Amino acid sequence: MTGVLEVKNLNKSFDGIVVARGINLSLTAGKVLGLIGPNGAGKTSFFNLISGVVKPDSGAVTLAGVSIDRLKSHERVRHGLSRTWQHIRLFPSLTVLDNLLVGTHDYPGESLLSVLLAHARLKQHDKIARERAADVLGRMGLSQVADALVSDLPYGQQKLIGVARALMGDARCLLLDEPMAGVEGQSYAAMQRVVRDAADCGVAVCVVEHNVGFIQDLCDEGVFMFSGAIMARGSVAELIRDPQLTELYFGH
Amino acid sequence: MEYVYGIIIIVGLYVVLATSFNLIIGYGGLVSIAHPVFFALGAYTSAVLSRDFGVPVLLAMFAGMVVAVVASVALTLPTLRVSGDYLLIASIGFQLGLLEVIKNLRFTGGPGGFTNIPPFLIRDFGRESYVILVLAVTIAVVLLVRLIARSDYGRAMSAMRDDEQAFASVGRDAMWMKIVIFGLGSGIAGFAGALYAHYYRFITPEQFEILQSAAILTMVVVGGVRTTWGPVVGALLLQALPQALTFLHLPPSVLGPIQGLLFTGLVLVFMFVRPQGLVPAENVWRDRTPRSRTGEGG
Repeated sequence: MTGVLEVKNLNKSFDGIVVARGINLSLTAGKVLGLIGPNGAGKTSFFNLISGVVKPDSGAVTLAGVSIDRLKSHERVRHGLSRTWQHIRLFPSLTVLDNLLVGTHDYPGESLLSVLLAHARLKQHDKIARERAADVLGRMGLSQVADALVSDLPYGQQKLIGVARALMGDARCLLLDEPMAGVEGQSYAAMQRVVRDAADCGVAVCVVEHNVGFIQDLCDEGVFMFSGAIMARGSVAELIRDPQLTELYFGH
Repeated sequence: MEYVYGIIIIVGLYVVLATSFNLIIGYGGLVSIAHPVFFALGAYTSAVLSRDFGVPVLLAMFAGMVVAVVASVALTLPTLRVSGDYLLIASIGFQLGLLEVIKNLRFTGGPGGFTNIPPFLIRDFGRESYVILVLAVTIAVVLLVRLIARSDYGRAMSAMRDDEQAFASVGRDAMWMKIVIFGLGSGIAGFAGALYAHYYRFITPEQFEILQSAAILTMVVVGGVRTTWGPVVGALLLQALPQALTFLHLPPSVLGPIQGLLFTGLVLVFMFVRPQGLVPAENVWRDRTPRSRTGEGG
């Protein structure tokens, strides 16, 4: 079975420090893959390479059978590759709802001509986008903060909004960078539910996470990364039990 | 009356220049100092086309705008690929270099300036008609920039300024947006230049020197960056002040430096005393339908 996202022999080093060492990885529609590894293993670098933030030295990435190697970051998103950031990176000058609306697919606000001329189309898009944003916020239990400034919200809710924004763009493949760091209580359950829902709708999800409980509860499979290379792939329970990997993780 | 009309027209054109510069530097977050040179390109293009090539004035004015847009793309397309800092550096070269070119070309009249520019409207409909035209353009430009700032496009500009990489990660093209904003702002400046040329009917390269850049920037900063009325207030104030200074009957050799000092001094004072300008911008982007929200500035 071919994956939604196929990574072939991806390599990258910065001044001799290798962050990706011949990575081969496939993400499957409807499945959640957990990316585990100690700090500095190259997990976030891997996301940066796939999403076009950083150019690889060699290797190939295809999304739904189409090569995306030559595409810029934003073009990859339009092909269905969506990501979140470890440090959230919301738009602080916008409200929660506006953060989500900017993230909609086929956003008419990007074209000055459509804003000035195509008023009817704009209204139609706006209506659909607002309904969709309301739905996503509702599922995350954030409806009541739609008009709040993102910077006024607690960290956990900001993390959820980062994921909500990424979900607004009709992603086929979703890369989540430490979605649970600093997330507790209600936000924790909401995050799990939303990510699982996305996978159930056919999205291929990859999660970088240190929270082993979350990975165990959510992921269909896990991959262990160390020093820019993939060391093992299997069920999360197997990876956690593997004494060799545990030693690599804790460094003793 | 001619004196009053002259003041209305010059203030109107500076409102247009400050408002279009506010679009670039305020809403677009693009740091450039090359606004006067686009003003010059519009003025010279329209003047040369209408006087020496027999192009109807209105058409020549729009040609001036188009040339300014094309020149702006020539500046932004290569520099923005690298970074915003390069835009600033390249804009200095662009401003100084292009003006040197204008000074040294034969068909622009060289350093002596370009004379006998055909008038527009005034012969048939009187000076008042031109004042009305300039005022109409001024109002249209202020309202256009306000409309853009409060539309979905304004929301996207706000997001782009906040975090360009996050903006790309939701599928938006920051570079294209910057090129469009810069092109529109420069095109408006070019049109203002054409309006200037056909009223005064005489232009010289000195009128578009880098000092103008400081003046326009001061108007935006003192008035209030990223607001509709800030550049309007700033342009009114900074055009009124030099006019007031002329009543002091100082010799021209003193008047020029005093105006320069005044602009720089005002920017410095405002940086410390009122960094948000006379008209403060809101911290939060707002659309056309005002709603009560928390966390708004002033």
